Amino acid sequence: MIVPTVQPTDEALAARAAAGDDSAFETIVRRYQGRIYRLACRLTSDTDAPDVLQETFLQVYRHLPSFRGESQFGTWLYRIASNAALMHRRARMRRATSSLETFLPRFDNQGMHVATPAELQVAARADELLDRQLLAKKAREAIARLPDLYREAFVLRDLEEMSTTDVARMLGVEPATVRQRVHRARLMVRGFLSSLVEVKS
Amino acid sequence: MSEVRCVSGVELLMDYLEGVLSAEMHAALDEHVAGCEKCAAFVASYCETPRILRDATASTLPADVEASLKNFLRTRTTAFGRN
Repeated sequence: MIVPTVQPTDEALAARAAAGDDSAFETIVRRYQGRIYRLACRLTSDTDAPDVLQETFLQVYRHLPSFRGESQFGTWLYRIASNAALMHRRARMRRATSSLETFLPRFDNQGMHVATPAELQVAARADELLDRQLLAKKAREAIARLPDLYREAFVLRDLEEMSTTDVARMLGVEPATVRQRVHRARLMVRGFLSSLVEVKS
Repeated sequence: MSEVRCVSGVELLMDYLEGVLSAEMHAALDEHVAGCEKCAAFVASYCETPRILRDATASTLPADVEASLKNFLRTRTTAFGRN
């Protein structure tokens, strides 16, 4: 008979790790390393992600005793990783890239869409119409070109699929602010995707 | 009933999708989108954007990066001491 093994909760592991149990910390690392790496790639780049990953788990190790369980462990860890990614971006002083503002939707003086329905819809098919590798490259470029405030909210809410409430708590802002930032990011990224795909009328 | 144009509809789209608009505004947006081919097309692409980006950036942890992490933590903490 196969007896299902019960996995310890993050919070239980965190408590054991904080008390000096290294095997509990190692389990936390194994449980989260893939997700934190993916997050780091999204917030920085494939080149910078390994450093962000290392920095994140070192911070987790050092700060575990101060984890009070006021937020979920996962949210706490994501906050550490996001801050590490932000520090990394700042330290690197990325060269200024042109903004995605030009990809926002356009309206006429009646407040109606300027583009045709076909043009407006085409971004929805970007993954069918573009080569996979090219799309992966362009997706990273789009995220990198978002303003910092929008990038973080967009990555956490839409790519990591955290709830708006959790993102708001993590960033220390109101849920309405998160919605506004994510919305602006979606508009820009949507327009950028459209620009990559030609519409044949 | 409030009148909605494309521009104001786009402004309210995220709030609409998250269900935080008043019932009246929600209904006004439904009505506008139902009668506006352009907005229907726009909403379709807006809703697909997060999924497309999520799929396109779903990287997996390479084995060498995982090994480096373990080595790094071994030198900086007391964890991963056993092989």
